[in-house]
Amino acid sequence: MDKKLDASFERVEKALAVLIDSMTKFTPSEKAANDVVKAERELFLGLEELEVHQRNVARIRQLKQETEALDAQTKQTISALWEMRKELVAVAPTKFSPAKEEKHPFTTQQLLDYARRISRNTLPPPGVTNGVDLSTAAPTTPDDQAATGPNASFATSIGGGGGGGGSGQGTAASTPAPGVQDSFVSQVPSQSQTGATELPVHLKPAVNPLENAPFFTFPTIDRIRSGALAQYQDLINRGIDPKNYDPEEEERRIKQEEQDRKDAEERARQEREEQDRRMREERERMARERELARQQQQQQEGGMDRRGSVLAPGQAGGQPARAAPKQFTFLDEDDDDEDED
Amino acid sequence: MASEPMSIESSAQDPPPVPDVTSQEPKYGGHTRFELELEFVQALGNPEYVNYLASRKFLQNPAFVAYLDYLQYWTRPPYLQYITYPTSCLKMLELLQVERFRKDILSPNLTHALVTEGMKAAVEWHRESLS
Repeated sequence: MDKKLDASFERVEKALAVLIDSMTKFTPSEKAANDVVKAERELFLGLEELEVHQRNVARIRQLKQETEALDAQTKQTISALWEMRKELVAVAPTKFSPAKEEKHPFTTQQLLDYARRISRNTLPPPGVTNGVDLSTAAPTTPDDQAATGPNASFATSIGGGGGGGGSGQGTAASTPAPGVQDSFVSQVPSQSQTGATELPVHLKPAVNPLENAPFFTFPTIDRIRSGALAQYQDLINRGIDPKNYDPEEEERRIKQEEQDRKDAEERARQEREEQDRRMREERERMARERELARQQQQQQEGGMDRRGSVLAPGQAGGQPARAAPKQFTFLDEDDDDEDED
Repeated sequence: MASEPMSIESSAQDPPPVPDVTSQEPKYGGHTRFELELEFVQALGNPEYVNYLASRKFLQNPAFVAYLDYLQYWTRPPYLQYITYPTSCLKMLELLQVERFRKDILSPNLTHALVTEGMKAAVEWHRESLS
């Protein structure tokens, strides 16, 4: 562009020089003037082109700036995204996040029921101090608790537990600031303990039956030992597979078997008795029949004797003597039946 | 309790169903899985019991650690409402997820401190609101 313009300027200068030269020689040349005009026009064209060029350059610069700005923005966005991604990756995946979003509606009644259920394991019964001196102010900062180690708290539970009891809660003064005031308050019960109003140690359980009763917010070892898990372990120790094994069901089954066995024994006994009874009756019947037969025979013998004395000697024996016992026998059997009944 | 290694599969199941009158759950020694796991997760609230488990090297068993992770379903509804020792049991379940604590609880000093501090806190937590 510069060269082009330079060429135009050179041409204008040359044409002008030629024109001036011709004018100084007093021979003005029209051609030289035309050349100057022509060169000047070309120069103007060139200048216009330069203007366009300059404008374009300005536009290009502006566009470059815009591009740079956009590039920077893109980079920023990408880096922000990258940071975000890193943060997201760094966050520990919570498995239960969908569950948290789930709503579990509950009624006031259910809430109260739950509160009642847990209260016996979260709130000590009145009078239980767990060795904490209730007459002093409650610890105001967690640091205070941290400062007293396990041994320290144990020592206070042994040494300073005397001030407990139901009356302690009422005197628990609201002392917001630890320090001087705290030490003052802690001295007060020790003074009162030495006073006349303090009960002797041997009378304290009479006032507060739960004087030294501990309170735990977790199941005690004894409770764990007597629970379902212990039963489970006991079954394993006895070599029984606990799966699908129900001790109650087992007990019922054993009882049922026992009952069945008893029933069977009872039935067998009844059957035996029945059989005995039948045999006895049979024997009695047979004995009666034998007796009857014997009696009949005796009667028959007696009748024959009497008939023989009535009948003529020629008619003795034969048919009538055989017919008579039949008739008697029949009657006797009737009699016999009635007796049995 | 049994000290032999446990199977990994024991912790890979879904939580047991919430008790229902009509359900016919298989029973283990007369108790459902729900009952046994509820009792166990509450027993974990006892620092001495956890110390006992640690002394039997249960807390170093990967299967047992996975089981502890699985037991976290008790911290969510609808299971949460069945826990009657919520304070110590849920905190201990949370602590047991940390490897450092699983090692530290082997110390009798820490166990004793947890018991005594727990007893103190049980009495003091409601006093703070009174004073």
